Amino acid sequence: MTRLSKTQHDLRVFAAMAVYVVLLLILLPHARRAEDSLLRLVYALLPVLPLLYVVWLLGRRIWQADELEQRTHLIGLGVASAVVGVFSLIGGFLAITKALPQEAPALLLIWVFPILLFSYGLVREWAARHYGGGLCDEADGMPAHVRLLIVALIFGAVGAWSYFHSTDNFAFGVFCGIATAFFGAAVVFGLRRWLRPGNHAGDR
Amino acid sequence: MNNKVRELRGERGWSQGDLAEKLDVSRQTVNAIETGKYDPSLPLAFRIAKLFRMTIESIFQPGKD
Repeated sequence: MTRLSKTQHDLRVFAAMAVYVVLLLILLPHARRAEDSLLRLVYALLPVLPLLYVVWLLGRRIWQADELEQRTHLIGLGVASAVVGVFSLIGGFLAITKALPQEAPALLLIWVFPILLFSYGLVREWAARHYGGGLCDEADGMPAHVRLLIVALIFGAVGAWSYFHSTDNFAFGVFCGIATAFFGAAVVFGLRRWLRPGNHAGDR
Repeated sequence: MNNKVRELRGERGWSQGDLAEKLDVSRQTVNAIETGKYDPSLPLAFRIAKLFRMTIESIFQPGKD
């Protein structure tokens, strides 16, 4: 199995996440309305398939990583596991003491995977920088601002879809807010790259 | 640990990317080794030594601590 370049890996992850979001938006309303319990199950679980693909991509990347990369993966996954563990513990205590609304435990469970991935990405970036590298290294993949811009576009598209196909203003606001945040980050990273001496032509 | 990897690479006119490819590691790993931020494992140190046709101890020397 050949090692994917960082750009190939990133593009596959983005594509899978885009499919996940689209499936989630299309199927979840049907899952709530479906009369047949089997159909409801299928609707509810289909969005998990692209996430399983992302997990497989992540496993493949770690498996094919060199020793230093594996160390940064280990640090990232270790800290992320601890963060998720603490988050789940706090959520569990709050749910047991009924300090949260009745539907909160299910929502908390949905946030476990995003928090795991976010913490993992953040800590791995820190670990890579500690060793003098960085996941945003333009020489080995898609520039950080382009990655952030793609994420902003995905969320923007979902927001637009939500605006035209759903009456849920909260979802529309959330997606637009996330898209704006990622767009802002893309602008900051793009400017930082542009202002860096000797990087105007992308030569490193 | 101190090492002569950057010096040896420079003598051969290789970029960090070239060396990374020859060692089957990432460019960041080569950079981390050259800057002393990461000490390679014994198997990787042997690969480096074999590539430069030198002994490990002539490339890697213990640091002050």
